[in-house]
Amino acid sequence: MTHAPAEVAIEYEIADAQERKRFASPKLRGFMLLAPAVVVAILFSIIPLAYLFQVSLTQDSSFFFTAEYTADNYREVFTRYRSAIVETVYLASVSSVLDLVFGYPFAYILIRKIRYREFVRTMMTFPLFGPLYLAFGLFYILLPNGPLGPLFEMLGINIARYLFSTGAVLFSMAVFTFPFMVMNIGAALSNVDPMLEEAARTLGAKPWQTFTRVLFPLSWSGIVAGFLMCFGWNLGVFAQPQLLGSPKEQAVLSIQMFTKGLVQFNYGLAAALGILLMAMAFAVTWASLRFSRGALGA
Amino acid sequence: MAVAAASAPRIENRSGGFSLRWLGNALAHGYVWAWLAIFALPFMATLAYSLRTPDGIWTLSAYQYVFGSFKENLLLSVQTTVITIVINLLISVPAAYAIVRYPLPGKSFILSALNLSLYTPAAVMGVSLVIAYAFLFRIPQTMTGLIAAYVVGTFPLMLVPVIVALRDLPMVFEEAARTLGATRMQTFWRVELPLLGPGISAGILLTFVIIFNEFLVTLFIAGPSTTTAALRVYNLTRTAGFQPSTAALATTMQLVSFVVVLLFFRFFGSRYLKGTYLI
Amino acid sequence: MTRVQLVEISKQYGSTLAVDGVNADIAEGEFVTLLGPSGCGKTTTLRMVAGLVEPTAGQIRFDGQVVNNVPPHKRNIGLAFQSHALFPHLSVYRNIAFGLEVKGSPKADIQNRVREMLEMIELTHHADRMPSQLSGGQQQRVALARMLATDPRVLLFDEPLSALDRNLRDTLKYSILDLQRRTKKTAIYVTHDQSEAFAISDRIFVMNEGRIEQAGTQLDIYLRPHTEFVAGFVGDNNAIPAEVEGVVPSLPGEPRLLDVRAAGMRLRGSDPGNIRVGDRVLVFVRPENIDVLDAASAVDEPNVVHGRIEQIVFEGPTVRVLVDASGVLIKVTSSGLGRLTLLDKERRDVMLRLQDVTVVRDDAAVAA
Repeated sequence: MTHAPAEVAIEYEIADAQERKRFASPKLRGFMLLAPAVVVAILFSIIPLAYLFQVSLTQDSSFFFTAEYTADNYREVFTRYRSAIVETVYLASVSSVLDLVFGYPFAYILIRKIRYREFVRTMMTFPLFGPLYLAFGLFYILLPNGPLGPLFEMLGINIARYLFSTGAVLFSMAVFTFPFMVMNIGAALSNVDPMLEEAARTLGAKPWQTFTRVLFPLSWSGIVAGFLMCFGWNLGVFAQPQLLGSPKEQAVLSIQMFTKGLVQFNYGLAAALGILLMAMAFAVTWASLRFSRGALGA
Repeated sequence: MAVAAASAPRIENRSGGFSLRWLGNALAHGYVWAWLAIFALPFMATLAYSLRTPDGIWTLSAYQYVFGSFKENLLLSVQTTVITIVINLLISVPAAYAIVRYPLPGKSFILSALNLSLYTPAAVMGVSLVIAYAFLFRIPQTMTGLIAAYVVGTFPLMLVPVIVALRDLPMVFEEAARTLGATRMQTFWRVELPLLGPGISAGILLTFVIIFNEFLVTLFIAGPSTTTAALRVYNLTRTAGFQPSTAALATTMQLVSFVVVLLFFRFFGSRYLKGTYLI
Repeated sequence: MTRVQLVEISKQYGSTLAVDGVNADIAEGEFVTLLGPSGCGKTTTLRMVAGLVEPTAGQIRFDGQVVNNVPPHKRNIGLAFQSHALFPHLSVYRNIAFGLEVKGSPKADIQNRVREMLEMIELTHHADRMPSQLSGGQQQRVALARMLATDPRVLLFDEPLSALDRNLRDTLKYSILDLQRRTKKTAIYVTHDQSEAFAISDRIFVMNEGRIEQAGTQLDIYLRPHTEFVAGFVGDNNAIPAEVEGVVPSLPGEPRLLDVRAAGMRLRGSDPGNIRVGDRVLVFVRPENIDVLDAASAVDEPNVVHGRIEQIVFEGPTVRVLVDASGVLIKVTSSGLGRLTLLDKERRDVMLRLQDVTVVRDDAAVAA
């Protein structure tokens, strides 16, 4: 009551007018906050990809002179480059299966038995610094006089045999994506109450039955998500075949794209290979988002 | 007699079970440590190689190149990484805020569109950008082009942890600040931003780890004057063979990355990295 | 010292009406409680007063001025949250200073005011602690100090004690009342806990399904419920279906009394208004307002009925008795020394004297 009502009224009216002007519509404000990100995505992701698609429909680098649209590049991709597609999918599948086979026990032990989890997670960031250093380091190890040479000699293994081999490529690919598999399966397993395993065991289930009837079905979503994530990353593999592989592995799509586009300047073909690789990667992403039920589902 | 006979095997069983369990645990821990060794091994090998001359003499001499002829590449890496992080912050934090706090139509569609580049294989992004830069934007082989590519490729990595952190942040703090007389801007700067700190640092860490070590997109779009340290490592393996100096550069890059990761885990733990690129 | 008026305010979320035309006139310095079950719209109403929720319709007035479009930070209100909502990254001192800092008050003023607040809540030595280092009660006291530091016109409380344990709740509710009495600020307090509401309010507004069912003093609400919901929600009650037989002549100003017939019983109760002869009604009588008399003491006065004890439960300070009166089960709570004499009366015939009987229209019967 000490306030003079008239004064208060004026104060409110001013506040009201200002507030209305500045915050006219929450929707508009929201879009304004979102705008920079959207502009960047449109300029440097969506437009280049659309442009890539357009280029993929022209021969060589003719797009930049007299563009004539044709599907020839795709015809070539599906005939002459069929083996490249097969090789890419083969390497990605096998390395992802390796991740699953070795990653499941790792994730289980990590979630159920290990207290120094933070340390393990820290160590697992090493492969994530990139396949380049990984392949580079493995190259040294596989060199005939590499740092571990004496050890392999003692074990009677001719390690140099594995340099430039399918095995080396698969191993390095599997190591690079291993953390993704462990992360996905681990997330699924940490949601499974250990009491369920105990319940199964008290009901007479053998360890193997506990796994197939309880753990496996309950962590299924993590397995699928992890597998697809590893597969998706490995589809775009580049450094490992380039450094550790034979010409057979070096036929993968990413390397082909680089050679066609930046060495032979056959932009049309490189673009077609790129569109194919992107379509495959998106299909995998779409499938994995469906399975993980949209981890972020805004 | 009967009691003793019955109890004796029971004790035996128990100790037998105990040692089996012990063996199982030892195997489990051994398995994990074996993998940790595999993770660290390539780095250790690179480190060892960088410290030895071809004649088998241990020396730090290879590291003179790191701060010699590779200095410019390292500087460029640091520069592009820092600028990318700043731009990522400026566009991701407002975007995350809009997505979580504002009633926008088609949110999940917008989020998918923003995340598009995250799902694009690096080589595809590289080839699409090299063409677009050369013939559409006319910025081939420039630092601008490099940073634009890095930003579009990594800002979703900043966006996701901030969205997670913002969703975890209860509305009451915002409401308390508002009823105490704070404007929207004051509320953001004084209350929400400090509380979002860990989420934002997670985004910074992810961007740093990726960009600092990125070589593939860079390989497509960089020129002689815009060769980052990671790309230099790749180029050297293709041209100069496997020299200790190359190993020294690769070691330095990984060490710097690892120290940053360690610092982050020390201060924030791994919580805000869940559901993102890293664990 | 601000008068707060709510004029026909409503809030609609999608197709659900959370608040449905609430009217209230809260006097300067009055302490009003919105009491009701969860989901009754009481919190939404409070948040509309705070400006955190915009009403779909209606007006909110402070001292006669419409404040609907005034954003929360300009309303000069203090809001206490269910969780204390202390800023976890700021010390106790900075939390209390927050409202003054954002206003841009001079440093010296802030210092004095915060010190004054800390003294008031007796936490002077905890100024540099972080909220996480305080106990639950201390946190809530800091939250109260933070809300009072800016000298708000209206105090709003959104179940501020619900997260605390019982002992703490009991002491803190009197601290809140004490603070309000000393500062003489208008206060609106939301709770679902009736004992809290009864302890601290000048007036209680019982809410249900987005509407205010009844507004009144504790005595009004407790002894003269206007609706079936209020009679059932506040305290324990016997609800006996009955039919109105006649109106007892009364003087102007006296409560209107009705004669009703329930099963075999003839009862007389007060009427909140407009019930007619022949209406289906519910007769409400509190278990503690029923005396158990000897069967022999039969007298022919209203509200003394015959019954038979079915069950006796000894609860320590009270004895609960279930009596079958003409087929209707009536709960009786007896305290005092007399309660002990009841213990051996199971299966015995008794007389019940019902006091403070209220008659409310039976909405379910009307609908049927």
